[in-house]
Amino acid sequence: MLKLELFLRHMVQQELGLVQLMLLPVSRESLENQVHCNLTKERLLYMLIVVQLQHQCLRGGEELSTELSVALQRCLLGGKSGAGSGIDPSSLVIVEGKVCWDLYIDGLVISSDGNLLDALGAAIKAALSNTGIPKVNVASETSGDEQPEVNISDEEFLRFDTSGIPVIVTLTKVGRHNIVDATSEEESQMSSAISISINRKGRICGLTKRGGAGLDPSIILDMISVAKHVSEQLIDKLDSEIAAAEADEEES
Amino acid sequence: MEYVSPEGLRLDGRRPMEMRQIRAEIGTVARADGSAVFEMGNTKVIAAVYGPREVQNRSQQISDQALVRCEYSMANFSTGDRRRKPKGDRRSTEISLVIRQTMEACILTHLMPRSQIDIFVQVLQADGGTRSACINAATLALADAGIPMRDIVTSCSAGYLNSTPLLDLNYIEDSAGGPDVTVGILPKLDKVTLLQMDAKLPLDIFENVMGLATEGCKAVANYIREVLLENTKQLEYRRGL
Repeated sequence: MLKLELFLRHMVQQELGLVQLMLLPVSRESLENQVHCNLTKERLLYMLIVVQLQHQCLRGGEELSTELSVALQRCLLGGKSGAGSGIDPSSLVIVEGKVCWDLYIDGLVISSDGNLLDALGAAIKAALSNTGIPKVNVASETSGDEQPEVNISDEEFLRFDTSGIPVIVTLTKVGRHNIVDATSEEESQMSSAISISINRKGRICGLTKRGGAGLDPSIILDMISVAKHVSEQLIDKLDSEIAAAEADEEES
Repeated sequence: MEYVSPEGLRLDGRRPMEMRQIRAEIGTVARADGSAVFEMGNTKVIAAVYGPREVQNRSQQISDQALVRCEYSMANFSTGDRRRKPKGDRRSTEISLVIRQTMEACILTHLMPRSQIDIFVQVLQADGGTRSACINAATLALADAGIPMRDIVTSCSAGYLNSTPLLDLNYIEDSAGGPDVTVGILPKLDKVTLLQMDAKLPLDIFENVMGLATEGCKAVANYIREVLLENTKQLEYRRGL
């Protein structure tokens, strides 16, 4: 099972008064994740997940980061309009159809020891629970096409609702066994792997299969049920760690 | 804009000759041969060192000394506005070169011929003085990796605003457009390995500002020595000595 120690750091940004919250989950891999909100006009909804791999200690760094970004987008984000997304887009809307927040999720892998996707998924969930969206006051009288006047509050923040965000569990097939949370040594011997993203209600939010070896369909269903079981434990553990870290932060 | 108030306080409440809070941690990246996190106020930098190891590109191999490579990059979220290009832009290339030359001057490269030492520095939070923080972090990481060096290299910056020399500029003071002097020294040998300045300064004031930055470097050096000593004590304790 993944062991996660979470600790929170704050950085207050100068002019805009946005609180950039950076979460440093230290698992067997060190990851850093930050959610940054930017005001965008004229766009319906735009969420972007970018994963950056630090130092080319990993061969094929560019491809791997693209693969991870796309896999995360598939698991967490829905269609173009934001429908069906694991991350609830309604809290990002300011004026329906006109003004909304842009959400950029940047993941930085500092040290990799296998199972990056799971760790990134957990880090994203933790970082989003730490995110504050500044309250925006919109001037009420605006005609159809004009851009409404917005006033971003420095003091008040709305919390992101993270109960619907899924976690990702990767099952790796090595030899005849399926293992959870593979180290990079184990991953080097894998024949195939399935990453399943499951939310708290036990619903599957995304599925990615990697590796060329074929899998029997019945085995895949077994793997999904195992992943469901593991994800329950993971979500519980994550939530308790996040709550503990938030309590620590409030004390200090 | 007033950068130093009439009472002599700067924008973040420091005195002109006061440095920001420094914090360092060694051994944060398990996979690397040596690594360190260095914080100067809000500027936070992580450095990882891989080496000495076999040269990856045979044509670059040097027969009588080690090849030192350095890469500086800033995370997407390190600055106020999200950065598009983490590395490969001109500023990052220049800073990579500067750090490489500074560290190459202090590493005993002739002891490790035909090998390669990679230094990767990543800026996690940028609030002015990233160059200095990177050099300090790289020194710690090299020490953690056990790479033989002549002396530690420490770096600090100083500027001149509102007719006052200021030590350790943060981002707002840095972008004020005044002169910014970055100094890197070998503290024990008392030699300067890095000296950079932008904007212009009269010579006598420059001497003052450079002297101030050197003092800052020495303060950082004391702190780094303490951190390294503490780390060694921890290692001894773990080995049961």
